[in-house]
Amino acid sequence: MSSIDALCLIFLTSGFTVGFGHCIGMCGPIVVSLSMGLKTKPIFFPLMLYSIGRVVTYSMLGGIMGATGSFTLVAAHIAGIQKGALIFAGLLIVFMGCVMGGWIPMGRIFRDSGATGGIVSAGYRKLTAVKSTAAYFPVGLLLGLLPCGPVYTALIAAAGIGVEAATPFQGVLGGMALMFSFGMGTIPALFIVGKLSGLGWIKARQKIYRIGSVLMVTAGVYFVAKGIFY
Amino acid sequence: MRKIHNSFWKLCLGCMGFFILFGMSASNVSAVDLSAVTAVCDPNARPCTAVIGDLTVVMDISPKPVTAMTDLEFQVTLKGRLPDSSPTIDLGMPGMKMGPNRVNLKAAGSGVYTGNGVIVRCPSGKRVWFSKITVPDNGTVEFTFDVVY
Repeated sequence: MSSIDALCLIFLTSGFTVGFGHCIGMCGPIVVSLSMGLKTKPIFFPLMLYSIGRVVTYSMLGGIMGATGSFTLVAAHIAGIQKGALIFAGLLIVFMGCVMGGWIPMGRIFRDSGATGGIVSAGYRKLTAVKSTAAYFPVGLLLGLLPCGPVYTALIAAAGIGVEAATPFQGVLGGMALMFSFGMGTIPALFIVGKLSGLGWIKARQKIYRIGSVLMVTAGVYFVAKGIFY
Repeated sequence: MRKIHNSFWKLCLGCMGFFILFGMSASNVSAVDLSAVTAVCDPNARPCTAVIGDLTVVMDISPKPVTAMTDLEFQVTLKGRLPDSSPTIDLGMPGMKMGPNRVNLKAAGSGVYTGNGVIVRCPSGKRVWFSKITVPDNGTVEFTFDVVY
């Protein structure tokens, strides 16, 4: 086993362990918002697309770290984007909380519009369903940029691979592999959070939705404030 | 579709089991520490110092103030019977898993070891970090200190 293979295994494990400790606390509100926003719809593919988006961003960042071999240099350049991602995440949570609480009537605007029968309306419903599911991928891509301690730590290791690599290309591949492993490790924890907050299994869902909406708006405002003062 | 869904959850649970076992075996390996000392210090004011057995461990970080997300140089000076191999520093936050962040030190002569590392910024706003210095055949020293964001 090469040193890069060993590092990938270490960071796969690290992603898993911080997933259940750190990520649930820090990114849990986002996943809960995404899951609760789906209400009773299946959450598997939306959450999978969100996770794939996140892992793609992590891998890209790992590749950049591996190419440059400098964590602090790249981190300084992406700090502004990360701040924006944090604010966006907060606004997204607030928006989804408002939709779920019925304060923004998305259902009346989209779901109940038009006739209920016929090929056109059925096609429209399918199209909007695909659109809303597919939207989780770019959300994952963007939220992969959220400032996060364990992600930074993994990126430091990716930059370390770049320093030790024989060629820049090897550095890119090594950095990407390490961050891919780390990202994959974080998926199970966030999936379990998403599954539990899917609420399909709770009987008194409407009350939970109301309470959840208020908590989501609060969490969203907290994220926006964090982003502004980060 | 449902089959894929169910298989994925089984895979998640399987991964959980694997990593719990992996983590347990890893923690058993590190459970052979000879000595473990903890100390609170302020590396901005003066180098951190602790004693393990017959060995005095001094850690200094530069540049000052110790700031997160910047390149830092860690210097560890050992006074006493020197170990065969270089010590290492593991950086982390008390009570919060941040992933493995190790500073590998290289001997610079006369019991002095230096290496470069980065303390990352935690979005929670917490500023307390620790550096766990592992001295081969002697044990560990953990210095807890504040960093500037």
